[in-house]
Amino acid sequence: MNTTPSFTINRRQILKLAAVFGATATLAACSGPSLGAGAGAADVAVTDWTGITPAKEITWWSNHPGTSKLIEEEIIKRFQAENPQITVNLVTAGANYDEIAQKFQAASGTNSVPDLVLASDVWWFRYMINGQILPIDDLARHLEIDTADFNETLYDDYTFTGNHWAIPYARSTPLFYYNKAVWAKAGLPDRAPKTWAEFDEWAPKIQADGGVTPLGLGKGASWAAWWFCNMLWGQGGAYSDEWTMTLDTPEAIAAADYLQSLIYDKKVATVAAVDQVADFGAGLTGCIMGSTGSLTGILEAATFEVGTGFLPEGPEGQACPTGGTGIAIAADRTPEQQLAAGMFLKFLTNSENTAYFSSNTGYMPVRTSARDGETMTKVYAEFPQFRTAVDQLETTRSQDWGRVFVPNADKELTTALEKIMLQQTDPAEAFAVASTAIATSFDENVSAYL
Amino acid sequence: MPTIEDLHRGTASAVAAPTNVATPAQRRAFTPRKKKKPWKSWLLFLLFAGPNVALLIVFTYKPLLQSLYYSTLQWNLGSASAIPVGLGNYVTWFNDPGTARVVTVTLIFTVATVGGGMVIGLLFAVLLNRKLHGRGAARTVIVAPYVLSGVAVGLLWLFVFDPNFGITAALLDAIGVASPPWYNDPQWALVMVIIVYLWKNVGYVALIYLAALQSVPRDLLEAASLDGATPLRAFRNIVLPLLGPTTFFLSITTLLSSLQSFDIIQAMTKGGPLEGTTTMMYQIYQEGFQAGRAGYSSAVATILFAVLLVVTLIQMKYVEKRVHY
Repeated sequence: MNTTPSFTINRRQILKLAAVFGATATLAACSGPSLGAGAGAADVAVTDWTGITPAKEITWWSNHPGTSKLIEEEIIKRFQAENPQITVNLVTAGANYDEIAQKFQAASGTNSVPDLVLASDVWWFRYMINGQILPIDDLARHLEIDTADFNETLYDDYTFTGNHWAIPYARSTPLFYYNKAVWAKAGLPDRAPKTWAEFDEWAPKIQADGGVTPLGLGKGASWAAWWFCNMLWGQGGAYSDEWTMTLDTPEAIAAADYLQSLIYDKKVATVAAVDQVADFGAGLTGCIMGSTGSLTGILEAATFEVGTGFLPEGPEGQACPTGGTGIAIAADRTPEQQLAAGMFLKFLTNSENTAYFSSNTGYMPVRTSARDGETMTKVYAEFPQFRTAVDQLETTRSQDWGRVFVPNADKELTTALEKIMLQQTDPAEAFAVASTAIATSFDENVSAYL
Repeated sequence: MPTIEDLHRGTASAVAAPTNVATPAQRRAFTPRKKKKPWKSWLLFLLFAGPNVALLIVFTYKPLLQSLYYSTLQWNLGSASAIPVGLGNYVTWFNDPGTARVVTVTLIFTVATVGGGMVIGLLFAVLLNRKLHGRGAARTVIVAPYVLSGVAVGLLWLFVFDPNFGITAALLDAIGVASPPWYNDPQWALVMVIIVYLWKNVGYVALIYLAALQSVPRDLLEAASLDGATPLRAFRNIVLPLLGPTTFFLSITTLLSSLQSFDIIQAMTKGGPLEGTTTMMYQIYQEGFQAGRAGYSSAVATILFAVLLVVTLIQMKYVEKRVHY
């Protein structure tokens, strides 16, 4: 048998390869970011909106939160009936907020940037420091958008450097869900525990008489570090004080110790393998902290009666973070397109459409007038659980910068919390690793662009 | 006189007398002079090769070099400006305490999926090469997962491994064994994604091996059998060496696809829990698109490219020499 020639490469081939690489290197150098210190949001030009004619066509990137594609299409239809000169193209640009953000950032500097884009709690700030979105205030004033009617916390979530960078849209908070049948078996009053101390008293009864694991906890990115705000803030701690990480404080450590004790000492909580909401719906756990955005789905899926309540209080009182997504206008569009986008945004978030969207999805009514209006009053009558979620909104506060504004911070915090929950790692050790990583990320990815 | 074809095949040795061998001077005299290629030939070459070369430049070499360039920048994905940091991103990666874990996960995943895939694929191929009832159906069943979408496979197995509702939990429960914490333990999660990757891709290995097995000359096996070789010995000493080129080909292709595996991890574990299934490929995605660190992500991509290149060159340079054709 003969053998094939072994792998060799001669001088001529090397030269040819070098020529191809040389040509492509020249091409490669023609594109990409400009070099120098970060331009960021400061470079966004101020526009005089008077005398500008709105564009005839705009594009909106959405992931249709809460399976809302049909709702969004209906609102677009209504808008186009009132404004036949403007066409709104609704594009499914991802399955979740992260996918939308990935596409929006990758599209930066190209012609594929949409006019309107969903901007979730952990993404809008990054769009802002990248100079990708427009400050809303001037345009809102010009279009006479009633911003005072927005829930103050939800609107102010998007504030930085004195400007608002998005408008609240599909906003949610964590909510306490419990299985009423299990509660009844355990002989508990038909309400959520007022405090975590009260939950500690109830948990053995839920386990013994209710026959289920009392509390189901969720893990994973964009989730664990969100609901943990409740325990953290309830103990008087925080992820950060503005840009300074504060996970080494006794309050933060106490919050993590409490979380760990629920799993390993008291053995009254379990971390869901895949989906804590599915486990709760299947009757495997007695209660969970879920998103208000899951309300409709939980009510439909559960075979038992579901009760809702405020998140339990810690020693320092009530603590509930806001979440979900707002909508931002892209900076890299013409003033005509931005004006048309603003007009649609005004229509999409007016009182009537806010109530329409909220009543069909379970997301918070972001306007006070919508919250107290006729549509939502009917919803509260039919689903009293929804009223709890709306009432809790008054107790919410914006999230710590150290989680939502620093790239990779949520991932680092999630890893720390997973170590604490799944591997019984010392909270101080897990938090120290996360804090160092977040501080480094801030130096590299945020401070240079502010 | 031997024909040119005979000379090429080497079958003309019997008739070709040593006296017929031309001297170097004669050879020079008879060698046709290289004609300059007419411009039409060049045009034809450009017409056929041009589009492919252009596509390669635009979609392969340009992104490759762009990535190399971006790896020297501190650049937030989406930002119009970036700060040059030289080799800073590489230094950061090599000094990061998490790098050892990512490299270990990548190594375990690659060795298990490439090695496991080759062994299981060969076993399936040997089985499918035998004249058994329902062989056609079995071949289809084994190869079918390979053509399925990785995301669909991942989502399907997400339910299969669910410790509360999954079929694995039910099967293990039937024999009195509790379901392992597939999703909450980093080691078990890695085992899980390896199993799913093998399930999806072993059909490809089996298919290629099957084709190679069918080209093994029967007379060699019959001769071995007449000489008293057991089937196992014949397989080890005749079939396996003859499968050398196929094994070599598969070792390169499966290694490349394993190191670039993404879809199953994304659908099932998203690199978790505790980054227990974060391979280098997944880290590139996480750093680039989740963390928005486009420069750092490009540096990891460049390192992975260098690893792939070196491993492939080593395979071609040294492993190929041991292969008999």
